[in-house]
Amino acid sequence: MKIGVIKAYMLKEFKDLIRSRMIFLVYIMPTLILVMFGYGIKLEVKHSRLIILDHDKSELSYTLINRFEHSKYFNTKVLDITENEALRMIKAAKADIILIIPQSFEKRIFHKDKTEIGAFIDGAFPLRAMTMQSYVQGVVYSMIRDLMERYHIRIKKIEINYRNLFNQSLRDENAIVPGLIGLVLLVAPAILAALLIVKEKEKGTIFNFYSSPVKKSDFLIAKLTPVFLLHSVNIFILLLWALYLFKVPFRGEFWIYWLTSEIYILISLSIGLLVSIVTNRQIVAVILTVIITVIPGFLYSGILMPISSMSKEAYIEAHLFPVMYYNHIIYDTFLIGQGFEAQKNLLYLLILIFYAALLFIIGSALLKKELK
Amino acid sequence: MDLIVNRVSVYYGDKVGIKDACVEAKKEEIIGFIGADGAGKSSLMFAIAGVKRFKGEIIYENYAYHSPKEAEKIKDKLGFMPQGIGLVLYPDLTVDEHLDFFSDIRELKRDEEYWRYRQRLLKMAGLAEFTDRLAKNLSGGMKQKLSLICTLIHRPKLLLLDEPTTGVDPISRQELWEILDENRKKEKSISLVSTAYMSEASKMDRLYLFDDQEIIASGTEKELIDMARDYTYEETECEEGCITFNKRTYSLRPLNAKKAEPTLESLFFVNALKKNKIPPPIQIEPREQKIEIPPIVMEARGLTKRFGDFVADDHIDMVLRRREIVGLLGANGAGKTTFIKMLLGLYPIDEGELYLLGKKISSPEDRQELKSKIGYMSQLFALYKDLTIYENLVYFAKMHGLGMEKALHRIEKLSKGLGFDKYINEFPKDVPLGIKQRFSLAAAILHEPVVLFLDEPTSGVDTVARAQFWKLLHQLKEKWDISILITTHYMSEAEYCDRVVVLKRGRKIADDTPQNLLKRFPNAKSFEEVFLELYKESE
Ligand SMILES: Nc1ncnc2c1ncn2[C@@H]1O[C@H](COP(=O)(O)OP(=O)(O)OP(=O)(O)O)[C@@H](O)[C@H]1O
Ligand SMILES: [Mg+2]
Repeated sequence: MKIGVIKAYMLKEFKDLIRSRMIFLVYIMPTLILVMFGYGIKLEVKHSRLIILDHDKSELSYTLINRFEHSKYFNTKVLDITENEALRMIKAAKADIILIIPQSFEKRIFHKDKTEIGAFIDGAFPLRAMTMQSYVQGVVYSMIRDLMERYHIRIKKIEINYRNLFNQSLRDENAIVPGLIGLVLLVAPAILAALLIVKEKEKGTIFNFYSSPVKKSDFLIAKLTPVFLLHSVNIFILLLWALYLFKVPFRGEFWIYWLTSEIYILISLSIGLLVSIVTNRQIVAVILTVIITVIPGFLYSGILMPISSMSKEAYIEAHLFPVMYYNHIIYDTFLIGQGFEAQKNLLYLLILIFYAALLFIIGSALLKKELK
Repeated sequence: MDLIVNRVSVYYGDKVGIKDACVEAKKEEIIGFIGADGAGKSSLMFAIAGVKRFKGEIIYENYAYHSPKEAEKIKDKLGFMPQGIGLVLYPDLTVDEHLDFFSDIRELKRDEEYWRYRQRLLKMAGLAEFTDRLAKNLSGGMKQKLSLICTLIHRPKLLLLDEPTTGVDPISRQELWEILDENRKKEKSISLVSTAYMSEASKMDRLYLFDDQEIIASGTEKELIDMARDYTYEETECEEGCITFNKRTYSLRPLNAKKAEPTLESLFFVNALKKNKIPPPIQIEPREQKIEIPPIVMEARGLTKRFGDFVADDHIDMVLRRREIVGLLGANGAGKTTFIKMLLGLYPIDEGELYLLGKKISSPEDRQELKSKIGYMSQLFALYKDLTIYENLVYFAKMHGLGMEKALHRIEKLSKGLGFDKYINEFPKDVPLGIKQRFSLAAAILHEPVVLFLDEPTSGVDTVARAQFWKLLHQLKEKWDISILITTHYMSEAEYCDRVVVLKRGRKIADDTPQNLLKRFPNAKSFEEVFLELYKESE
């Protein structure tokens, strides 16, 4: 390892990144993806078609219906049909939400008994479904709050029982945002790493490496270290967005999040390296990287679908991609906080390390100091 | 022998780059690679530089290598500059940063000697005042010279330069050869240099002549010239099986004419005859659409361009008449490309007035309707890499609003006329430079313009192709009444122009016919010397 050579190459890389304005991309893209998709969850959904089956027909149930009717978010219809008929309407895409107010709803509330409102939400589009769910929640909660004030009663615990049709695992944004971090940190460093190498191939400056005594390993270190360092900053930026913009709780330990993310970036870098070996054009490199990172990043991250409910083939595939392992640990650090006390997390970390090492070794073995 | 290249072949897939090449060189020798475009010079350079897989054996200082991997061992002694303007430069680094980078990756010590040498290289390249300029803001020739000095900075013992003087002005070329000469004496280095300037052959110890992926001859300049002696005649009428160019006629059959003294360029014509590759006679047909052309096609009055404090073009006046070929000459960075770009509207004009086809140009709208009357070929061929040559041409035709049928007809005519029809389905990067140049010209004239701006169209192009190219330009002038403004660093080409304009550091220092200029300097043996005198005079 020749420190001087690596330093010279790295200095050049940094200057180039800054002067070609690529540096903006490095910091804007990840944030953009997170905020865009993150807000996708919060996006207003107006005029969802709500069908209410009122089995109570009490004053309280009317109040509740009234509130829905006055909300711009819902197109409310109160129908006298059976639950099954209503469900069929969702299936036929004629309704988005079904709300079932049970018999003696009012009575039970005033008797401080447990009662349930049933809500069925069309989960075909998870983000939309989630939004609708939160609106329903909002209307019900606000009514109950008013009730408590008006009648000076205390309702200790309200439970709203949701069943998201067709996609039972729908999670709230607390779970989506960490998943997005897993996606972003897989895509962005890979693209940058691939670009830094392919750019030289496309332009011709790669000859400077081919025809000089610069070692392959030194070249790789010089190319990948800047990407690693730059994107390490993104680990923190993304965390800040998650905590302060999306208000995701953070129950685990920071160092676990950090360490795992750094290793994950190494995996991403190695993917970029592999892409740069098979391509000669920047645009191809970007597209190829996006395809091989975004698709598994989305599909197998557990954002769209929980791994456990996947078909068998998909289940195996999910385990082939590093995304799942990373997301598992990240969910834990954000939402649960077991850390490495849970054996599974530790195992998954080791798997990630193995991935990083394997991909990097393959990449550097395939990199040749010669023209194709 | 210190370098032995033993039956080396290079393949690109199933395409041959060079076959069974054998080259030998001793320390201190400068070896020249000459030959037509695409003959295999670069491929052999790739093999020797160890950047491309090859068959055969190369032995350098008793170390034999057979693959890029084995060649790693010699790379600290190697200096390799591949062909292509600014290819190995980083657009966003300055001149100084380039030298730093190239010194650092070679782990050079920064002693007094180093700085002295570095300063010399910068002076030679004419870059000493521009050390803070980004590579992307350098002129074509300045880029080329920067690549060159970056290759020389570590004083390589085995120097491989692939057309280092392409696009480099005559003054810098002289200085470059001085440096090469000094380097070989001081470092006892071997230099392999390919060149398209045959006048440089006299500076080389031995030459290898490449043709059709093979080395077909080698020897000193004199020995090679002698090979053409039997076939070189003074210009004469000749029906078939011969080529006439630049006051000489070449024929394999004995001609009833006086023999003429051959030059190295003659060898290329003779060789083309031997291989039965007589370039097809160019036949430009009359314009499909007749148009009225005003007597003055372009007039510039005091055109000025500044980049910050730097004045690239300083109050330049110029007239281009109908049916006139004007050569725009000048050292690297003199402001030729910048001037043409102002004419085209690619750079805004900072000061001065411009008239095109009798119309004053003051806004982009003024240019809009003139677009169809102007053809342009840039210094760095502006071709789409992902389209084949054919597709590129169709694209250009469409851009000019030609109908499909008309476009295809013209493309066929031009590709045959310019002799690149057999390459038409290849990608630009896979064809020799001379071919690229021809079809770039085709792209520029597809829409039958009235005026052509050509920026170094012949740089790096081989002798025969260049001769062809000039014949073509003259035909365009004759048959289409076209006017041409052309830049070049081949001073011999100045003589094919009706008039030349010489720029120096953004100022016009001469504007006259080549004949008058030659008369003004009776001692000059060639136009190159006239040029050097002009530059000296204006000091
Ligand atoms: N964008 C820019 N910023 C700063 N300087 C520039 C820019 N573009 C060109 N120049 C400078 O203007 C001068 C003239 O450049 P130009 O390209 O016109 O030279 P040229 O005569 O065409 O030279 P060559 O023979 O090398 O092609 C050079 O010194 C160049 O570095
Ligand atoms: Mg130029």
